Amino acid sequence: MRLRRFTHRLIAVLAVSVVLCAPARAVETLRVLAWPGYADSDLVQAFEKRHGVHVEVSFVGSDDVLREKVRANQGGDFDVFAANTAEMQYYIEERLVAPLQLDRIPNTANQLPRFRNLQAIHGITRQGEVFAIPYTYSEMGLIYDRKQFREAPTSMAALWDPRYKGRVLAFDASSHNFSVAAMLLGGSPFQIKDREFDKVAERLVALRRNVLTFYTLPEESVELFREHSVALLFANYGRQQFKQLRDAGADVGYVIPREGALAWLDCWAVTRGAGNKPLAESWINYMLESGVSGELTKRQGLSNTIAADPLANETDKLIWLEPVEDAKRRAALWSHIISGDLPGKLRTR
Amino acid sequence: MRYGIGFKLGVLFAAFGILASGLTGYYSYSSSRAMLLAASERDLLTATQVLGRNMLVSLGAIGKDARLLAALPRAAKISQFSKSASIEEDTKVLATIFNAMLETHPEYFQIRLISADMNGLELVRVDRDGKSLTRVMAGDLQEKGHHPYVFETLRLKHGDIRLSKIEINHEEGAHSGLNKPTLRVATPVIADNGRVLGLIVINVDLNGLFGLLKADLPSAYNLYLSNEAGDFLIHPDATRTFGFEQGRRILVQDDFEPVAEVVQGKRESIVMNIEAARMQQDRLVAAFVRLPLGDTAEKRAVIIGLSQPLEHVVREATRLGWYTIQIVLVFSGLALILAALVSRVVTRPMNAMVQAIRSFSKERVISPMPTGRKDEIGVLARSFHDMQKEMVEYLTELKDSRNILEHIARHDPLTGLPNRTLFYDRMQQAIIQARRDKTRLALMFIDLDQFKQINDTLGHHTGDLLLKAVADRMQQCVRESDTVGRLGGDEFVVLLHFIEGQQDALLVAEKIRQAVNQPFDLDGHALVASVSIGVAIYPEHGRDEMQLSVNADRAMYLAKGNGRNRVHPYQN
Repeated sequence: MRLRRFTHRLIAVLAVSVVLCAPARAVETLRVLAWPGYADSDLVQAFEKRHGVHVEVSFVGSDDVLREKVRANQGGDFDVFAANTAEMQYYIEERLVAPLQLDRIPNTANQLPRFRNLQAIHGITRQGEVFAIPYTYSEMGLIYDRKQFREAPTSMAALWDPRYKGRVLAFDASSHNFSVAAMLLGGSPFQIKDREFDKVAERLVALRRNVLTFYTLPEESVELFREHSVALLFANYGRQQFKQLRDAGADVGYVIPREGALAWLDCWAVTRGAGNKPLAESWINYMLESGVSGELTKRQGLSNTIAADPLANETDKLIWLEPVEDAKRRAALWSHIISGDLPGKLRTR
Repeated sequence: MRYGIGFKLGVLFAAFGILASGLTGYYSYSSSRAMLLAASERDLLTATQVLGRNMLVSLGAIGKDARLLAALPRAAKISQFSKSASIEEDTKVLATIFNAMLETHPEYFQIRLISADMNGLELVRVDRDGKSLTRVMAGDLQEKGHHPYVFETLRLKHGDIRLSKIEINHEEGAHSGLNKPTLRVATPVIADNGRVLGLIVINVDLNGLFGLLKADLPSAYNLYLSNEAGDFLIHPDATRTFGFEQGRRILVQDDFEPVAEVVQGKRESIVMNIEAARMQQDRLVAAFVRLPLGDTAEKRAVIIGLSQPLEHVVREATRLGWYTIQIVLVFSGLALILAALVSRVVTRPMNAMVQAIRSFSKERVISPMPTGRKDEIGVLARSFHDMQKEMVEYLTELKDSRNILEHIARHDPLTGLPNRTLFYDRMQQAIIQARRDKTRLALMFIDLDQFKQINDTLGHHTGDLLLKAVADRMQQCVRESDTVGRLGGDEFVVLLHFIEGQQDALLVAEKIRQAVNQPFDLDGHALVASVSIGVAIYPEHGRDEMQLSVNADRAMYLAKGNGRNRVHPYQN
């Protein structure tokens, strides 16, 4: 769940942007599959002009649709696309993406240090080969009411703090809640061991008892924040949500807890079926130009990998999303937790 | 006369009649149709409004049920002392009451008493489970404090009702209500001291509720329900409901564009224009009404709509069109018949006149005409009639004067006997006939003896009187078929037809001579006259009129030469 994605669901999911002055067929075509906001037509036109090619952009609105589109025709329908780190592993495993030649993407040298060490980002490299280049990210920190907190909370554990009972907002999603709870219990956020599940579930029941409610939409969180004097909220939508609350007049702060914040990181990758691989890599290089990446931040409020966010700290711990051990199990259990099952009943599952 | 005036008049009348009935038909059809369609739109809107009002009434009744349960002293007691064992009996009784209410209201999924404490633990809960009802017992009761329908309701005052958002109920263990569109109607349970102890929640089966409401509507109607943002909650195609649950929005304003104004709150209701619906593919006519739900601060509302296939709506109008066409056809037929009659009424007297004028010009016969009519045709007929009469009179006069002239030309004006011309004409005819019949005829030349002397001594007047008297006597001496003529002066001729022989002629001649010898009394003058007569016989004395005349004349001179007053036959 990402704000930009949600807001763009209102726009046609599969809208195909037809670039003005479509050139003749003889001109080479680059087929781009992107999320709304990643390839605005003015930026696309600049690329076309520079490379003398035609760019055909298709938009997707969900991970599922993205998988479907890339999988079709063994990745032969598109040349280049963007997906997050957790999803990228799937594409590598299915051999739908091709290794990249970094020397053809010189702008990677301008990326922030945390994005330059590609081996440290789980899920985009395999056996020394790089399959994706980070483009934009958003972390899930904590938003707190500055009137109710004399000092900013430092840990995710604040969500469980009984002092704020009934004034905490958590997000209604199984995966992230399990990851956060597992992390607080000292385990791996994405690999919960079978015997630890009961404990994690118990922690989530405790969270349920401490929160006012679980929200799904950012607008909802703004509304609840105002109506119910909320003190603390898990910012699933990151800085975008923080900005939204501030714009709504809330005196709030945003913090990355010391355990680290879960973060999605969208990366560009080239399909194995790409017609012109160097051209696709030029596209990625173009996306990493400070001007183009800067526009993304300006227009969509998303962090880019070139310029550091003035509010962010270089030492903030960001935990890039990875596939979880058993998404179905988390979802089923979460469904019971949010339905209000007592801990004793949960243990029998 | 290929296209006579009658035909043209008939065509004109018929065209006028057909045009008049056609135009009347068309205008009455189009105005009636507009009225019918407007009435259909109104009906649809009214049906939607009634349905909306019924829904509000139903919701009001559900609210009253919740209030009734919240007001039960047992509900407050259970909420207050839920931990004590002695409360067991009370929970049982309350569950029985819930049971009874669920039994009478098939549209209820679930009724609960939820505690304000203990993280919103359910205290008493009865679920519908298929056809039966199930009381959920202690270990299976759930904590619901984090749900808005709990924490929002707990903020309410005594008697307030909160209607939740209409959602798919994903709460595990909800029996029949699981994964079903649900509306939660809740009201707080409040102690005598004003403390909020808990709440009563009735889960309403949205489809069940609208199933009841829709039961009275015609089956052609389709029902729509959306929330205040326009997300479909009820749609004839169930896959188009609760799209937001799958992360996509399926909005009423996307399907029915004009409803956007209702969603935005600019209008309370809207009905699709039928003519506009014609242009659309689905060809639906629909009405939508916005209904505010409850009086809580959340400003909840739903938009309820009914649609009808366009065909259904315009069926009446189409039928009206057929009726109109039939009426127009019948009246056009009548117009044709009437035109034919009128053209006949006009042309019949005219035809009669034409007939009359024709026969007049052919035969000079005055045929009857429609002179008795009081209209223009009557005047025309009378004029023609008068003209014909005048012409007939004129022609008669002309004939008479011609006859007179002819008589004058062929008769001697003094004696009235045929003159030379007529006589020779008759003689010619007589000779032709005699030649053919091989009969005889006789020609006499008669000359009055000493006439010049009489004329000179007694005057022309007496001479004329004598000539007339002689002519009379001669005529008395011959048969009616014989001809006496005057050639001029004192010369007379007689033609005798079919005589046996000369002797017959001489006898007649002798008879004439003796008749003339009788004294005359002319204007007091006693007078004695005589005649000399020459007789010639056809064919013996001449085979043609010329020879015969010459010979008769010769014979007459012989008679004169022999001493006058005698008869002398022609002799070779």
